[in-house]
Amino acid sequence: MANQSFAKSVMKKTALGVIIGVLLVVGAKYTHFPPVFQIMFFLYAILGALVFILLDAPPMKRLEGVKAVGALVVFYLLLSGLYIAGASILPQFDPEDEKGKIEKVLKLRRAQSEKGKAEELIARAKELDERAKAISKQLSSLGADAKVEVAVTTSAGGSGAAPGDLVALGKEQWELQECYNCHKLYGQGGKKRGPVMDNIGNLMTVEQLKEKIIDPKSWKAEGFDKDYDKGKMPDKYKDLMFPQEIDALVAFLASLKDESVDTPKPIKMN
Amino acid sequence: MKTLNRSLWIVIALGLCGGAVAFGQVPDAPLVDFPYSGNRTAVWVVAQLHILFAAFILGAPIFAVVAEWLGYKNNDPKYDRLAKEVIKVTVILYSMTALTGGLFIFVLLGTYPDFSTWLIKHFFLVFAVIYPLLFILETIILYTYFYSWDSMKGAKKGRHIALGILLNIVGTVTLFVIDGPTSFMNTPAKAAGDLSLVEFIQTATLWDKMANFSWMPLNLHRLVGNVTFGGFIAGLIAAYMFMGSKTDEERAYYDWMGFVGNMIGVGALLLLPFMGYLLAYELCDYDASICPYMMADQLSMFFEMQGAMVGLIFLASNYYIWLSLKRIQGVEQVRISGFVAVVVLLMPAIMGFTWKMFPPPEWQSLIVLVILVVLPMILGKVPGLKNFTVSAFTMIKVGFLMIVVADAIWMTPHGFVPTQGLATEELELPSWASELALMPAKNAAAFTLVFLTVVNYLLYNRAIKRGTIVWGKIDFASQFVLIFLAFSAIWTMGLMGAVRSLTRKYYHVYNLVPDFTPEAFTPTLAYSAWWITGVTIVFYAVVSFAILVTLKAGSPKSATSLASSVPIEAK
Repeated sequence: MANQSFAKSVMKKTALGVIIGVLLVVGAKYTHFPPVFQIMFFLYAILGALVFILLDAPPMKRLEGVKAVGALVVFYLLLSGLYIAGASILPQFDPEDEKGKIEKVLKLRRAQSEKGKAEELIARAKELDERAKAISKQLSSLGADAKVEVAVTTSAGGSGAAPGDLVALGKEQWELQECYNCHKLYGQGGKKRGPVMDNIGNLMTVEQLKEKIIDPKSWKAEGFDKDYDKGKMPDKYKDLMFPQEIDALVAFLASLKDESVDTPKPIKMN
Repeated sequence: MKTLNRSLWIVIALGLCGGAVAFGQVPDAPLVDFPYSGNRTAVWVVAQLHILFAAFILGAPIFAVVAEWLGYKNNDPKYDRLAKEVIKVTVILYSMTALTGGLFIFVLLGTYPDFSTWLIKHFFLVFAVIYPLLFILETIILYTYFYSWDSMKGAKKGRHIALGILLNIVGTVTLFVIDGPTSFMNTPAKAAGDLSLVEFIQTATLWDKMANFSWMPLNLHRLVGNVTFGGFIAGLIAAYMFMGSKTDEERAYYDWMGFVGNMIGVGALLLLPFMGYLLAYELCDYDASICPYMMADQLSMFFEMQGAMVGLIFLASNYYIWLSLKRIQGVEQVRISGFVAVVVLLMPAIMGFTWKMFPPPEWQSLIVLVILVVLPMILGKVPGLKNFTVSAFTMIKVGFLMIVVADAIWMTPHGFVPTQGLATEELELPSWASELALMPAKNAAAFTLVFLTVVNYLLYNRAIKRGTIVWGKIDFASQFVLIFLAFSAIWTMGLMGAVRSLTRKYYHVYNLVPDFTPEAFTPTLAYSAWWITGVTIVFYAVVSFAILVTLKAGSPKSATSLASSVPIEAK
């Protein structure tokens, strides 16, 4: 009898959960929520139904001995599977994207570190060793007048961008330093943490932009008083970035001259 | 001339070659390279295991000494038994803490020798003197506390409790000390004047490095987290023992123990969201770019998972209260002011709006919060309004509805994207609803969850005062809820530990010591989930073994009687 009543309750609450879920989906669609959020709202409704089913569930029978141990093992496997599946179903960040970025950010630092220097020395020694062996081999096999092709290697550049293209290098710095997390540009990123940057090149000179990056307290964006007072812009770039990286970023920012985008006016502070 | 040039090339090349060979002959140990997992994950796994054991041996004594004191104060032997059983398991796991701690140091030194040496040099006094001394002191006190349990009874009980308090003080100081280097890796002391960070750290005092931005928030977060952890593990112990009990007396005792463990675990859990918020606030205050990195960029889906876990934990802890209430005879007569239900229904909206208008630390939001909490009590006493009441079961059902709503708010992200760079309109909230993803909404959801849980415990308290409780007769499903809570709490600890470490990005010490190894990237959430689950299972296996060895194998023959259906006030 109790089981029948519970089965009825399950059916009733499942139906109610589905109805509420559908209503939520329709409401969300009407109010322009993307499909992924509509699915999420539906799942919340089903979760609610499950909770209310559990509240009225009949008492569980006591398990003993092997049955209890078995139930525990199954329970742990279910939980483990649920958590792994839950984490896996969410959007995943691709580490390969970051690996390239890290390589670019740390390249100059690695070269500067003692370890980097030692590694570079060993690498160069190995390279010369191989070249010497190749030369010896060619000399012995071809004679003294034979032409020896020696590959000329260039020193590693700072980035994948074409050398001399300071603006392109600066754009790369914009990405590498994750400026987009606080500043909106080309309609992307930002979320109001920092001012929009599309027209900053018309509002600040190269020197002023450089001053702002090195000393964030030197300039304030109009309408960002609270953020300025809280020191939201990190005072770290003078330590983290090499001078040539700052110059490149400044060159990129100075090139941003889209007057159609309302960019907050900079105010000199000290 | 050409021949001369070539000869010169050869001489230079051979010279450098000789130099390289000489360099290569310097005796050096082979590099450590963990198969399958890689070095970084190996360090992560061992560190996480160590932290779990350490959290238990720091949290359990707090739980135990409180229980012992309650037993002493109320002259109730079951509290004393509870405290002693928890300490028994603690003593076993203490050795596991030391073992995994040693393993952690070896693995760290083997895989990251340069950085490890650098860190040890900067905190030499801590690592070589203060921490070992504290650990030895804690070991002596713990073993004295445990082995003097039976000899320090009666008049000496007060001194035994004092010893337990001393144990907790030393344990807490140990935690605070080791949190210094840990938090330093996240937020190294900021440079003063024109010095660069590197220059400043070279000359900074030990205190400058210890007392960094995230040190105290991390201390508080871990301290409260450890109490939660201790409570939930006590609940786990009780669940295992309840399931294996052969007599009603044993079941009654372990039912009661599970309830107490869960109550202390949930009591501390209520503070955890705010402690976590404080830690995140300080991290963001240190460097505002950490905030979007955590909440909107590469770690955003880790926080999505955290939202799901916190929601499940609150659902489960309240479900346990529900099951506990159902076995109280006379609970049907318990009622509460209907205004509490009204406040609960309105709370997410009102608090979300208030926190938007007056974000922390502005005080106005606190005033509104206090009014909301106090209002139902005042209205419930006004003649004409005091008859507006609802039953305990109705109130709890309204509560569950709002727990689901609060979970939904907590879990709603700005966008279903793993990084801000991939955000598109098809994956983001519509602009009119963007507030749902901001901190005021999350704070409102957190407070609703906390408030509801408190209301449910108040109802439970009212029910046991008016009704009759039969210990040992709780729904068997409740034991799975206790196990679920412990498992989920451990899993969440692992997840958030990973988040705290990953906020350092590709640095060993944020912005100061770069990690040049190929593993210095953010792992995917799915990859992390596999390892977190693995660590949780290993920890669970060891704890389960410790419980079986210490309690089940040597379970006392005479149990404290609790099974009789007498009114709770009579006990």
